[in-house]
Amino acid sequence: MRRYVLRRLAVGVLQALGITIAVFFVIRALPADPVSRIVGMNPTPESIKQARHALGIDMSLFQQLLTFLGFHGDGVFTGSLGKSWVSGATVLSEIAITLPTTIQLIVTSFIVALAIAIPIGMATARRPGGKLDKGVFGYGLFAGAQPEFWWGLIFIFVFYFKMGIAPAPLGMLDPELTAPDAVTNFVLIDSLIAGDFTAFKSALGHLVLPVLTLSFLLVGPLLKMTQQSMSRVLSSEFILYQQASGLEKKSIGRSTLRSALAPIITLTGILFGFMLSGAVLVESVFSLNGLGQYSVAAVLNLDFPAVQGVILVISVISLFVYLGLDLLLAKIDPRILVK
Amino acid sequence: MQKRKIDPLLLIGLIIIAGSLFLAVFGNSLAPFDPQEPVGDFSMPPSADHWFGTDGSGLDVFSRVLAAPRVDVAIAVTAAIVSAVLGTGIGLYAGYFTGRFSEIVMRISDILQSFPVFILAMVLVTLTGRNVVNLIFVLAFLYTPIFVRLTRSEVLTQRTRTYVEAARATGNSEFQIATRHVLRNSLAPSLVQLSVTVGFGILLTAGLSFVGAGVRPPTPEWGIMIASGAPNIILNEWWTSIFPGIAISVTVFGYAAAGNAIERWARK
Amino acid sequence: MSLKRAISAAAIFSIIVPTGLFMSAAGSTAATSQVTFLSEDVPAGLDYDGPSAAIPASQVGMVNLMEPLVYYKKSGKSPSGVNLLKYGYAPTDFQGRLAESFTKNGLVWTFKLRKNVVGCNGEKFTADDVIYTFARAKSVSGAAPIGYFLSAVGGIKDFATFDGKVPLGDEVKKIDDYTVQITQGAENKLFLPALTIFGLGMFDKEGMEAQKTAKDPWSHDYANTVNLPSFGPYCLSKWTKGSEFVLTANANYYGGKPAVAKIVLRKVPQSANRLAAIRTGAAQLTERLTPKEFASLKGAKGVSVGSVVGNESLFLNMNFKVAPWDNVKLRQAVAYAIDYNKLIKNAYYGQAKKWKSLVPSSYPGYSVPSTQYTYDLAKAKALLKESGYVDNGSLKLTYVAEKESTLGPVVTQIKADLKALGLDIQLDPLPQTQFGDRQLTKRDLPFAVNDQEKPIGVDAGYATYLFFITGGLNNMDNYSNKIVDDTYKAIATEPDTAKRNAGLATIQEQLAKDVAWVPVVEFATQWAYSSKLSGITWHPDNCVRFFDLKI
Repeated sequence: MRRYVLRRLAVGVLQALGITIAVFFVIRALPADPVSRIVGMNPTPESIKQARHALGIDMSLFQQLLTFLGFHGDGVFTGSLGKSWVSGATVLSEIAITLPTTIQLIVTSFIVALAIAIPIGMATARRPGGKLDKGVFGYGLFAGAQPEFWWGLIFIFVFYFKMGIAPAPLGMLDPELTAPDAVTNFVLIDSLIAGDFTAFKSALGHLVLPVLTLSFLLVGPLLKMTQQSMSRVLSSEFILYQQASGLEKKSIGRSTLRSALAPIITLTGILFGFMLSGAVLVESVFSLNGLGQYSVAAVLNLDFPAVQGVILVISVISLFVYLGLDLLLAKIDPRILVK
Repeated sequence: MQKRKIDPLLLIGLIIIAGSLFLAVFGNSLAPFDPQEPVGDFSMPPSADHWFGTDGSGLDVFSRVLAAPRVDVAIAVTAAIVSAVLGTGIGLYAGYFTGRFSEIVMRISDILQSFPVFILAMVLVTLTGRNVVNLIFVLAFLYTPIFVRLTRSEVLTQRTRTYVEAARATGNSEFQIATRHVLRNSLAPSLVQLSVTVGFGILLTAGLSFVGAGVRPPTPEWGIMIASGAPNIILNEWWTSIFPGIAISVTVFGYAAAGNAIERWARK
Repeated sequence: MSLKRAISAAAIFSIIVPTGLFMSAAGSTAATSQVTFLSEDVPAGLDYDGPSAAIPASQVGMVNLMEPLVYYKKSGKSPSGVNLLKYGYAPTDFQGRLAESFTKNGLVWTFKLRKNVVGCNGEKFTADDVIYTFARAKSVSGAAPIGYFLSAVGGIKDFATFDGKVPLGDEVKKIDDYTVQITQGAENKLFLPALTIFGLGMFDKEGMEAQKTAKDPWSHDYANTVNLPSFGPYCLSKWTKGSEFVLTANANYYGGKPAVAKIVLRKVPQSANRLAAIRTGAAQLTERLTPKEFASLKGAKGVSVGSVVGNESLFLNMNFKVAPWDNVKLRQAVAYAIDYNKLIKNAYYGQAKKWKSLVPSSYPGYSVPSTQYTYDLAKAKALLKESGYVDNGSLKLTYVAEKESTLGPVVTQIKADLKALGLDIQLDPLPQTQFGDRQLTKRDLPFAVNDQEKPIGVDAGYATYLFFITGGLNNMDNYSNKIVDDTYKAIATEPDTAKRNAGLATIQEQLAKDVAWVPVVEFATQWAYSSKLSGITWHPDNCVRFFDLKI
């Protein structure tokens, strides 16, 4: 078990590093020159030279790569991701602010989506061909084909504008509330730590529509996978054996679920990785200032350090998520360790 | 003779696909107004003259919705076909002739797939320029690994079948076996995926345009239309975003339904 | 789990819980004497010699935390009630701020500094702070040398080479703890105007020096990322980059404690969301909505819109170094082909007026040239023919992609207008950073729409210096004309205002003849705010001074 984990970690780290270096070179093919933004009011040759030096782009490409990795001072290996060309702040600090918002959004959406998909998927698997089965099937097909940013807009229009029951799409908190002191940068956790329940409720309230939009989308494929997986297991021999032995429904249900979880968990991992950057559309619509919006702005602004930093961070997170899920899978189904 | 019941989903899917392809070719000419010229008062709600109203720049929404498939669907279909052909070819080779090349292909494929897709798409589009042709290349590049993986795993199963042995026994070269026999039997997953990929392509194109990294205005494209209408929903100007959204919704559903129906038929 | 259970569980979860949360989240009471100000961004940095100096959102932070030596006086209001400033060059046109009084003798200005000025950290303002500020500017040690640049614009002696090699000398001299002398190199009317600009706000020497490091002796990092030790009316209490910027009133401010105790700036990039917040009273002040959104607030309960045609304008610039735009007749054809009134009505909802010169109409030195470009399609077509240019569909109109919601209707109409003329142009949205790079550094944009340039020095001469003299710092289309250059040289050191204005009029005539830019419209700078808020004043940097406000 331990060797499996270590091996996976090593491979993953190499992969993440490989991706980052690849990205480093690819994006430098982009026609960026961040100098103009800085010298804005005063583009004399001297100030341009000074700006280029301040940004570190007057070195050769290879030197820049070494600097980025950390051989000439602060770099990836020492925990620094450089400074954003747009704001001058460290990329790490900007990611530290935006990433938690995205994670709160995605994690909550997955919890809601799984809470809906698994029970319903289980229920329909036991009555194949029934009305619910057909309904679920149709929904799965439908939801997977939707532009989620459009649905986000519709929800805003209906629930906020027409019905007035949702808070304005202004980010995580009501404008007149001050954010709780940033301890973890997760608003939900920070507000609990600070004992500030108004902020907590406000943040949760602001999450409702975005989570609704995302889970609306996620439920589709998750439901479909649950249904497929459950029906496959239900028709397997060992379940038949349990049924024949007369075990009560509840425990049969539990063991079915346990065996059916593997592909569901795998799918969750894949969707999670996709959502880390894919959530940008929902983040834009609801002004959530998350990692997705940050990465879009970074690419459009040709802010190389920020783009590199974001890709590295997302790759590393995906890595850990996949590893974590695989460990979970290994616990449920030890057979995969043998493969 | 047994009367075969036609799968209603397949029927709906095919009708929608046919409709989208039809509009991709003829939509521009069928549009009542020029989709890129301001033709009316700005921001008018749906009326007899403008069935879907006009947007913030005075463009007729109905004409733009009709003309958009020429961009959205064309990009997605072309990209899907290109990636399917490329991916199947590479997957066939990597699956049949296992060896170092196969390993390398799989590793590259893995890395590409673990990339944050949306960011990669944005970077590539920014790199190559925001026009239709580049979008096709970018999408094809992104979707090829899927087909590689699918075909390869199918081929891996197929190559152990007895008909391969038989073909070898009758003197076929490996190349002939791969292309003439194994390929034909490994196509099913790719065909199914093809339809689904078109759907993804439309969504990705629209999504990229929504954040400003897709096609350029005033090209009629559903994603751009939703994006330009989004800020005005709060001013009760719902028609600029709703209609293109419905169009995407229905179209992608059609492709997904057809793909799903084919998959169920292939499984039988 | 039974089917019924599954469904009811899902139902309870997804319907009732969110509704409960909705109810508690929607609407909450605001603290007293607080203004929540929503904007496209919050300050990204506070050092005016740093990477964020050119960003308007960051300038808001700088102007409210810092205090200038002198400033313009308030005078009059716009039709919708926005307070205005009066502009000029003479010492009587200015009020002393950190400087209690100031006199000129030849090229030497003597400033008597105000006593009892206390900053947020309890430090007192003295002549040492002034010396520090100018020495720092002269060191050219930050990412962008704005302090140096403005000192040069004001004509301070020995600020010319921009190399930071020569430390501050006698040109800014401390006479005693409350008296400073600044010497100009030559007569230059822009001395006092330059001192009003955010890039010459006074630092608190003790506060800054406490944060210096060996690598960063002028504390650029600290000023850019943490705080700005200075003497302004507000103090920074909390700063979350990309999200929030909170200011609290400086109780020791020499001008009296500010009426609004707390200002909360929040970043809300989508204008529609800012509009929603103002409408529901969740915020009390916002800016930069689209013209349509401002128009929709007419008659809204509890919300006022203040508007002023200040220095924001929209123009087309065509690059003299890129064919076919070096052809004057083609440029004129384009200028006559645009339906200006339609643009004002449809794209700006009437909140704009035709721009008649290439200098903001509110600036001293503005004059109306005899060559005016109005909508005349027949004339445009004739000029196009005379120009000899034959269109091959290769012309592109570039604009900032992020401004799609405001510029979209503008460029769509221009495209249609030019099509009627016979030119089939392609629209080319570029992200802001690329646009800025090509416009400022490379200067190779062939044909672009621009609505972001405003001369920060309130003077037509400054505008000329920036945009229209050969090799001007922001001469984005490589315009070059000897008459303009020579006339500018003559008036740059001209002490007599009448003669100077005459020279500026000559320059503006020439600019119009050459179509240096196509002046399209001057559009209104607007704010939407709670009816309980008053005191909004228009400043030339378009930033709100929170000290002006009362709620």
